[in-house]
Amino acid sequence: MGILDRLRSLGKSQPEVKEKKVVLLGLDGTPYALLKQFCADGTMPNLAKIAANSSLRQMDVSIPEVSSTSWTCFYTGMNPAQHGIFGFLDLQPNSYKIYFPNSKSVKVPALWDVLGNYGKRSVVINVPETYPAKPLNGVLISGFVATDLKKATYPPELYPTLMELQYRLDPDAQKARESKDVFLADIYDVFEKRRKTILQLFDQEKWSLFIGTVTETDRLHHFMWDALVNPNHPYHSGFIEFYRRVDKLIGEVYDRLDNNTTFMMCSDHGFTSLDQQVYLNYWLKQNGYLNFTSEQPKSVEEIGPGSRAFALDPTRIYINLKGKYPQGTVEPGAEYERLRAELAAGLKEISSNGKTAIKKVFMKEDVFQGPLMDQAPDLIVLSNYGFDMKGATNKQTLMDKEIFTGMHTQDDAHFLINRKDIKDKKPHICDIAPTIMKELGVAIPSEITGVAL
Amino acid sequence: MSDKGFTLWFTGLSGAGKTTLAHLVETELRHRGLKVEILDGDVVRTNLSKGLGFSKEDRDTNIRRIGFVCHLLSRNGVAAISAAISPYREIRDEVRKMIGDFVEVYVHCPLEVCAQRDVKGLYAKAMAGQIPGFTGVSDPYEAPLNPEVMVDSSKETPEESAKKIIHKLEEMGYVPKPADEVYSEEEEEEVKRRLEELGYF
Repeated sequence: MGILDRLRSLGKSQPEVKEKKVVLLGLDGTPYALLKQFCADGTMPNLAKIAANSSLRQMDVSIPEVSSTSWTCFYTGMNPAQHGIFGFLDLQPNSYKIYFPNSKSVKVPALWDVLGNYGKRSVVINVPETYPAKPLNGVLISGFVATDLKKATYPPELYPTLMELQYRLDPDAQKARESKDVFLADIYDVFEKRRKTILQLFDQEKWSLFIGTVTETDRLHHFMWDALVNPNHPYHSGFIEFYRRVDKLIGEVYDRLDNNTTFMMCSDHGFTSLDQQVYLNYWLKQNGYLNFTSEQPKSVEEIGPGSRAFALDPTRIYINLKGKYPQGTVEPGAEYERLRAELAAGLKEISSNGKTAIKKVFMKEDVFQGPLMDQAPDLIVLSNYGFDMKGATNKQTLMDKEIFTGMHTQDDAHFLINRKDIKDKKPHICDIAPTIMKELGVAIPSEITGVAL
Repeated sequence: MSDKGFTLWFTGLSGAGKTTLAHLVETELRHRGLKVEILDGDVVRTNLSKGLGFSKEDRDTNIRRIGFVCHLLSRNGVAAISAAISPYREIRDEVRKMIGDFVEVYVHCPLEVCAQRDVKGLYAKAMAGQIPGFTGVSDPYEAPLNPEVMVDSSKETPEESAKKIIHKLEEMGYVPKPADEVYSEEEEEEVKRRLEELGYF
């Protein structure tokens, strides 16, 4: 361009550079295998069309593969020994007293906090482990285990809108025990109200990052996975219909995107059929590692003298260390290591009908890294498909089956991004936050353990 | 809650329980999201104050050095915990003045109880005359006149004392309430119910 042209261009408005944006739809507990099936068999035509020009990958999630831990890995890009969420419940320090971790227990910034430092606004709907709602640059409606919609809403001015939309935090899982018809209707109801809220906030709010998460999928899978697996099940069509509605939402969101917006989807774990529930505290008791002060202990708070180990839901085992717990019996050092090895070997022997229940037993240092290692469980169990680990304290049997027909999987979550050129690796849920930061041109903090895809 | 640092200063006879309490409090403070560092008297004497003895002059120098480091940590948002005998009132007050955000914890324990515990085997040696200038036996200990917290390790469990200290720090605004107080009692029951329904509790 010559000098005269440059002079002529001065003062003329430059073409507007549209800001990059990211949309992520979360489907709690939706396995990669299921989405592939539904893309292939016509249940989810919108997703099938999107997936044809996208990267839809099977993804690994946190260990333990429970929503509170996994979603926190998602929104921080860090592992539990950094963010501090190891499960839906945890123990107060130096105590067997249980408490319920929440957003205030998360020790590191969320993805939207990092984006906020760059002036980027986020809308975050229904991500578990974000209750109570903390201030951010944007809008946040907390997910599970939110109990009070007012405390789950930021900014508070959004609350009347949510009341008008009749927004509901969660389906009533109690209904699954009363009537599957009523439960399914409740799932549809919560989803419809969530869908309307997602679309309204999508259209009305300014944002660089939009996250809308559906958790009704997880509730459906826990109680009615058998309805999916058996085409002759009376609720099979009801299950399929729900996913058609999810597909409709995917299409409605995708159709709103412009060329500057990256579209992503993910889940926090997969699902598979549940054959047996396995009670780790029962196993510990039967093998002399644990005793309680009552016949029907309600929790590990009733731990008895001489106990060497106990379990917390779903897959966590803690050594009753001297100096760490009030009734600790195990010496740190050699005794601790011997006991861990002994437990790992014993746990791997648990089986039913010739099938081994446990795929792998991890030591804490195998899967966690960070300043909160002291808080981490000492062993973590990864089960084989079909065996669902539980931390119940009052069971009188090693294994049984209750109302649940589906269980979480750690290695079959899904991740989708609407481009083909991504890293040739199996994604991990910690990779999503840095991937979003990269898409939005934001520097990735060095503490983040995930890798941008 | 801000990232305001402060210094938690334990003082008391050898074996009274300063180190035990320091570690209990440290765990709880980390659980609540604070950055914490402990300067333990025994540990400091192997590095920062290596070579210093137990004359009054050397003890004063030791405490001033610990106080200086606590000051640096506190003004950078860290909860600095000192667990050293620090027997002289004047020097403790000097450190308090330097730091400002200073919380003194007097760990009281009668001399005879400390001597009975004799966790490091030092009281027996001191009483046999093998260790000159041993605080409480042959050297003075000046108890604080107005500590922010006083605990009695001969009457309370370490957990009870730690709770008292944490409560005081909450009252003084240095430490946020724990995350497990987010839920009211009714809400906690509701959370339990919902987790039970999904098989988590």
